[in-house]
Amino acid sequence: MGEAQQPDQAVKEALKRLRQKRQERIREVAEQVKVQKAELKAIREQLAADGEGATPPRLAEGTGIEVSRVMWYLATLKRYGEVVEGAKDGGWFRYRLANNARQSGGEEQ
Amino acid sequence: MTSGRTITCDALVVGGGIAGLQAALDLADQGFSVVIIESDLSIGGKMIRLSKVFPTLDCSSCITTPKMASAAHHDNITIFTWCELQSLERDNTTVTARVTARPRYVDEEKCIGCRKCEYACPVLVPDPEQGGFSGTKAIRIPFSNAIPQVAALDPEHCMLCGRCARACPTGAVDYLQQPRQFTVTARTAVLATGFEMTSPGDRPQYGNGTIANVITALQMERILAPHGPYNRVLRPMDGMEPDSIAFVQCAGSRDLSMGVPYCSRFCCMYAIKQAMLLSGALPLADIVIYYMDIRAFGKGYEQFYQTAKAMGIQFVKGKVARLQGLEGGTVAVHYEAQEGEGVSVDNHDLVVLSMGVVPHWSPEGICRVSTGADRFIRTVRPSLSPVRTDLEGVFVAGAASGPKDIVDTIAEAGAAAMAASNYLAAVRQQG
Amino acid sequence: MSGSRQRKSDRVGVYICHCGGNISDHVDVEKVRADVERIPGVAVARTNMFMCSDPGQELIIEDLRQGIVDRVVVASCAPSLHEATFRSAIARAGANPYIYEHANIREHVSWVLHGDKATAKAEKLVAAAVGKARLLEPLDPIHVEARRHVTVIGAGIAGMTAARLLADRGLEVVLIEKSPYLGGHAARLDRVAPTGERAADLVSELAEAVLEHAAVTVMTSTRLAGFDGYVGNYDLRVRPVLAGPAEDRNGYVPFHGVVGGNPPELTIKTGAVILATGFRSYRPRRGEYGYGDLAGVVTLPEFIRLFSAAERSGDCLVLDGRTIRSVAMIHCVGSRQIPGIHEEDGDGRLNEYCSRTCCSAVLHAACRIRELFAGTRVHDLYRDIRTYGRGQEELYERASKSGVLFHRFTAEAPPLVEPGDGGETGDFPLRLTVRDGLTFGEEVRMGVDLVVLATGMEAGDIDELVAMMKLPVGTDRFLQEVHPKLAPVETSVAGVFLAGTAQAPMTIGEACNGAAAAAVKAASLLGRGYVELDPFVADVDPALCRGTGDCLQACLADGALEMVEVETEEGAARQARVIAARCLGCGACVAVCPTGAIDLKGWSLKQYEAMVDMIVADIPDNA
Repeated sequence: MGEAQQPDQAVKEALKRLRQKRQERIREVAEQVKVQKAELKAIREQLAADGEGATPPRLAEGTGIEVSRVMWYLATLKRYGEVVEGAKDGGWFRYRLANNARQSGGEEQ
Repeated sequence: MTSGRTITCDALVVGGGIAGLQAALDLADQGFSVVIIESDLSIGGKMIRLSKVFPTLDCSSCITTPKMASAAHHDNITIFTWCELQSLERDNTTVTARVTARPRYVDEEKCIGCRKCEYACPVLVPDPEQGGFSGTKAIRIPFSNAIPQVAALDPEHCMLCGRCARACPTGAVDYLQQPRQFTVTARTAVLATGFEMTSPGDRPQYGNGTIANVITALQMERILAPHGPYNRVLRPMDGMEPDSIAFVQCAGSRDLSMGVPYCSRFCCMYAIKQAMLLSGALPLADIVIYYMDIRAFGKGYEQFYQTAKAMGIQFVKGKVARLQGLEGGTVAVHYEAQEGEGVSVDNHDLVVLSMGVVPHWSPEGICRVSTGADRFIRTVRPSLSPVRTDLEGVFVAGAASGPKDIVDTIAEAGAAAMAASNYLAAVRQQG
Repeated sequence: MSGSRQRKSDRVGVYICHCGGNISDHVDVEKVRADVERIPGVAVARTNMFMCSDPGQELIIEDLRQGIVDRVVVASCAPSLHEATFRSAIARAGANPYIYEHANIREHVSWVLHGDKATAKAEKLVAAAVGKARLLEPLDPIHVEARRHVTVIGAGIAGMTAARLLADRGLEVVLIEKSPYLGGHAARLDRVAPTGERAADLVSELAEAVLEHAAVTVMTSTRLAGFDGYVGNYDLRVRPVLAGPAEDRNGYVPFHGVVGGNPPELTIKTGAVILATGFRSYRPRRGEYGYGDLAGVVTLPEFIRLFSAAERSGDCLVLDGRTIRSVAMIHCVGSRQIPGIHEEDGDGRLNEYCSRTCCSAVLHAACRIRELFAGTRVHDLYRDIRTYGRGQEELYERASKSGVLFHRFTAEAPPLVEPGDGGETGDFPLRLTVRDGLTFGEEVRMGVDLVVLATGMEAGDIDELVAMMKLPVGTDRFLQEVHPKLAPVETSVAGVFLAGTAQAPMTIGEACNGAAAAAVKAASLLGRGYVELDPFVADVDPALCRGTGDCLQACLADGALEMVEVETEEGAARQARVIAARCLGCGACVAVCPTGAIDLKGWSLKQYEAMVDMIVADIPDNA
């Protein structure tokens, strides 16, 4: 198939029906994605503001997001190469934005 | 999309974990044709998810991936993943399995494993392959060593936004994919369906899974694994490096009130192994193992235990009664010490629970093999041929017939392959 | 391999493995990659988290298929783990599997060195491998016929199981046993814990099967006298045993006169060997818990024999005419010994391992006593109860319910067994004192009529066999497998496998699984009727050989070299010829040849020189 080819009418119809059927769940997921986008944005901004990097508790304080959730986002951003671990600060490590990183999740490139 | 196709082989292996892979390889190396059906997205079972393995401390991947690759590339082995066994029946000398291939929503033939869909997907979901500690995407390659390297979409978290389909260079994404039925007919079958761990979710004394920084041993495996969520040992609650880590043994076993009266057999050894790995990663941390009996019975295991003691890992004889979450993420461990003061409390930064081992699969309603009171598959010649079930021509290997460590599982898988090949030879002679 | 100049490959691919941190935690893998990529002859250098994984292997296959590389160097763990993995990947790409060289940067580098030193050594080893790889030539494995015949040594449970399975599989089997009897230790057991099966029934079933099987030849009172040949084609010389009183410790009564005169030696031509030589029951030192000094202190195997003739007096157990009102059973005798705490044996050795089977055996015996003789008290003195297996924890429960009294001791404070003095512990011949961990370390004294020592398993007396077959032995003195997970029943001698307690303490079920696993490997090995051996053997260049015969003198393997008459341009001449299957590839011949006519395939002198050159050369630093 590939992008060049247009999906035929039957597939379009079937997809439409599927969307209809999953309407409720799609709405819930879309809602979650919206929250994720906002939280990721807040974390990214906080990371950008703290040039030297920030610890999870500091990020939690700065963004108002629960620290365990901050940790989860950091692990995710690290996995997709957007965040790197920095120096140690007390019992914690600092995290900062990677250079030229692909943005993962929340928005399309 | 084919439906109702029938595949014929000599031996059907149910389960593509280490037991199933070893049994399949030992059959295929003798020239028998083998089909493996696996319920997960990848073969490799529990073992491929582990960090390092006792008593050699080899990385688990180093041992598992070559076996996975050998099976995947073997001329005599065909593997089907993401399948559900609907029924397994035996009639004279034929074993018939009806199987449903669940939809991946990605065409297996077309997917080249490039992960572009994963990068494009906007939905973050907790990654079950990382103990939930990091996020992954709603469409993804399950993990980096997975075989096959084929993406799968989780419809529960899909918005049908179409980004993955647009990103896919081979047009492999198929939102409309349907389950597919097929049939495998064989002469013999090996059940290698493995184990699961009980969940702390219904254990009030351990906080029902709600106390931050109380994790399961399998989650600790991920934290210690090379591809782990943090690439180092951190508390999941706040990312702090723990200074004090406790292991609670028999957290789900040897206790009828937990539903698991038997010994889960390998928890002592993995706890000791994890303690050693932690002590390597965090040389200054205090590591305590609360236990009833240390069961280090295998080859080299007792020596491994003594080495751990010499490394400074503390072993405290005592049954943990209760865990309590404190301010700042500290966990209080209430236990009855067998030596010293009796009822005691100690605080730790991170607590690891050695949960009970239960069967991954029940044959009920699917296959006529019977199970024991422990719900594992019953074996009828436990001494002379521990791989024999009460259904002729159907054999069992590994944790499907009771908790077993990897070494014992691999030996038993070879034994099951031997029994199955002799059965095949006998059936062939009968014509 | 002719004397002509070899073409050097300039398309070597180098594949460096992180080993999930095992290597990359200590070696700067990326620096190694960048630096070696600049070594002449290297076409590409790549890294992967796990080179042995499918995606890792795929990197190599892709590069070979696209013609980017024609020689492969993998830098990872020990070649014993994954050399075969990478060779088969190369073969899948359609290339010759021997264009491959392995650099061990885990065991030889990251597990022993750290920091810059580790990275520098890794680079040297990889560079050396590249030097050699440039000179590698495609080779063909040596194809030898294999006999569809297996010899099993030891006719205990494991040996009989392996023999029966292989015979059923269609192979010819010879089963050798040094004692006059089949059944080994199991023949002396009563019931099997925890299943309760009668050991005699199990032994009989297997013995009948092997004795009646047309494909099994059973040879009792026979031992191995010689071992020769190679995988698929072993020649075993066997000789009848003239049993002497020294054999007595095995528990049978041998007698002279069965085989008279000079017993005939016999040669068995076989394809593979399974070692099922079993274990030896630990004999307590004299005075260990009073053993040998105090009447009424026996080992568990001795107790089992006594118990099989148990009598009753009221509710009490009577053994040998003595009423047993109270018995103490002590675990871990001769097992789990700790340096500095336990006394070493005459050879300065300790049994540091757990014997695995004794906990269940003791509890089973304890239950039998309590359930049959309610009047006999049973004390169980243990360090850890290891009822790990299916049905075993239930046995522990059963023992508790039947009234067995448990006392826990530590290795540092073992129980003390003394003669009874009629004092506070009452009218008993023996008095036992233990600091009981179950009552917060309180010192407990008890009077008993009998003390049963749960003696563990030790490696069997097979030093001769070990020397003859060059078998690997572990620090625990049991026979050693190649790898507990990758090759759990294989030994480093190709075609020689391990079954049962020769390898480690095991239950009967576990020994049968081990035996069946060994059988399946032997069946796979011999099933095709041929085996393939690595072609790393000596090779004679007829243009250079002057027939001095020096190589024959130097050769370490019997019959790997011979002198043959050949026709040359100058007429008939004597030249050396290699019998490839017998050659060990040791290179002793290479060193003595005055004309440099003999060399090793895959390990030629030129290749060695290239490696050394690379080790001493400067590696361009990218940093």
